Amino acid sequence: MEERILHLIRKKKQLMAPALAAALLFYFLLPLSLIFIPDVMIRPSIIYSISWAWFYAFLQIPMTWFFCWLYHTTAKKIERQIEAIHKEESL
Amino acid sequence: MNPTYFLFLIYIIVCTLIITYWAAKRSKTTNRFYIAAGTLTGFQNGMAIAGDFISAASFLGIVGMVAIRGYDGFLYSIGFLVSYLVVLFLIAEPIHRLGKYSLGDVICSRFPSESMRLLMAFCTFMISILYIIPQLVAAGFLLRLLLDINYYISVIVIGGLMTIFVVVGGMIATSWVQIVKTVLLMSGTFLLTLIVLSHFNWDVAELIGEVKTGTPLEDKFFLPGNLFDHPLEFLSLQLALVLGTAGLPHILIRLFTVSNAFEVRRSLISSTWIIGIFYVMTLVLGLGTVAFLGYESLMLLDPTGNLAAPLLAKAVGGDFLLAFVSAIAFTTIVAVVAGLVISATTAFSHDFFHHILKKGKSTEKEQLRAARWSALGIGFISTLFALRLETINVTFLVSMTFIVAASSIFPVLLLTIYWKRFTQVGAIMGMFSGLAASLLFVILGPYIMNPSDGWIRGEAIFSLYNPGIITIPIGFLGAYLGTILSREQSQSIVDFNKFYIQSQSGIVSRGEKKWKT
Repeated sequence: MEERILHLIRKKKQLMAPALAAALLFYFLLPLSLIFIPDVMIRPSIIYSISWAWFYAFLQIPMTWFFCWLYHTTAKKIERQIEAIHKEESL
Repeated sequence: MNPTYFLFLIYIIVCTLIITYWAAKRSKTTNRFYIAAGTLTGFQNGMAIAGDFISAASFLGIVGMVAIRGYDGFLYSIGFLVSYLVVLFLIAEPIHRLGKYSLGDVICSRFPSESMRLLMAFCTFMISILYIIPQLVAAGFLLRLLLDINYYISVIVIGGLMTIFVVVGGMIATSWVQIVKTVLLMSGTFLLTLIVLSHFNWDVAELIGEVKTGTPLEDKFFLPGNLFDHPLEFLSLQLALVLGTAGLPHILIRLFTVSNAFEVRRSLISSTWIIGIFYVMTLVLGLGTVAFLGYESLMLLDPTGNLAAPLLAKAVGGDFLLAFVSAIAFTTIVAVVAGLVISATTAFSHDFFHHILKKGKSTEKEQLRAARWSALGIGFISTLFALRLETINVTFLVSMTFIVAASSIFPVLLLTIYWKRFTQVGAIMGMFSGLAASLLFVILGPYIMNPSDGWIRGEAIFSLYNPGIITIPIGFLGAYLGTILSREQSQSIVDFNKFYIQSQSGIVSRGEKKWKT
């Protein structure tokens, strides 16, 4: 049982580690771009009259919600599989 | 005092005391006192987490910061929100599964020893106390400004209330006060946002145009660089904000108040929705303050900007709305400090008294009595400190709390959960080095060492106000060096796998009792 559970935990880690790295990269690119490419960040973005700096800062909010949702759905799926293995072994 | 203000204040106090009375009848066991017996739903806990997290500094400070600094003020709030991703992805579920009441339980589930528990309890206790004091001092000033109440009376009222909530109602009262606070805060902010937008015919472009005429920064108001002109300082602050929440004991112990990992995730997702929406509304309020009042009149009334939201409320809704917003600010402070008191109480009475002093052998009745006396003592001492520190600038304590949390508690929790080779010596070294580096860098930094108004008159040795970018790696480095340099053997693969499965799935192997899944 231990091996099967560990395999599922590893699978979850493999899915979630890049997701967290992507989220943090997305976040830290905001201060970094404000420091290194301020001229680009103050230009108007694809949405009329809003600069890239504002647009990118606003995007951080849906980005957080999206990654929370992604984690929740993945964790829920893995949790069910682990629970199934645990029940199977307990019988 | 204006009778409307007084009525609102009395109403809030009476309501929260009724909640406490109701909670008192349900807090007869330690399980209920410390963690509300895990009976909260994910959504309720999400509201309580938001209530615990959004302090007066967030509510009033960020509105003021947006009004004064524009874009950079908004950026400040984004870091707080994103920090929840770190909590959710890395430590939330393992903490819930490994701990019972405190972070000491979590760490001792892998390294069971008195020294480890004592150190974690000390860090938790220190962070909580250091955070309560500036909140109480700010509360005293705020109520004096808003309601014209004497500083000492304000601090005693808030200090007294937080102590009563925790002593009498424990975690149940604290949670429900925080939930009520979130409902009040969100509805009040939403109402104010609607009023502001309606004044500009729901046209954001019109609001932005008005803001540009109201601020001396003009077009620059909407550009970055008005608050953070030092890139390293800016990056360091962002790092401390993002990692700090994952080390804040008063937020993390809230993860014990739900029944399973599913509800833990729901708690954090709910809180990110609440906090995200809240920060968008504070942005509108900050802009609205500049558009309505103008920068000059805001500076004339309050140069710190902390009164931006109440002044805006008065401008758009008169005395009634101002009284409502003041009541919200009051509830906000009380809810946050109550959360901090219960966190310090758990560290003292559960970790120190029960596990270390009584070697885990005290009875249920003794534990409960110790918890209530601890809460009383903590409430009394922190109120006393706040009363004595009226004239001293203690705002640096807030930033220090985040830095200590991110540099000492977070690295140790993270490595305990995930690093196979991690040892107890590494954990102790990690906590010590993170804590010592944070204290050293803050003491020798510009908050304390300042030629004009510092505690130590002179040029700061370390120029960063937020030294997180240096102290966080020191915390990790201490943990790493402690591990590789210690002669102590790390756990065997079998033992670590058992621990790891428990932390990631809640399943306790070898037929032992499964306490949580």
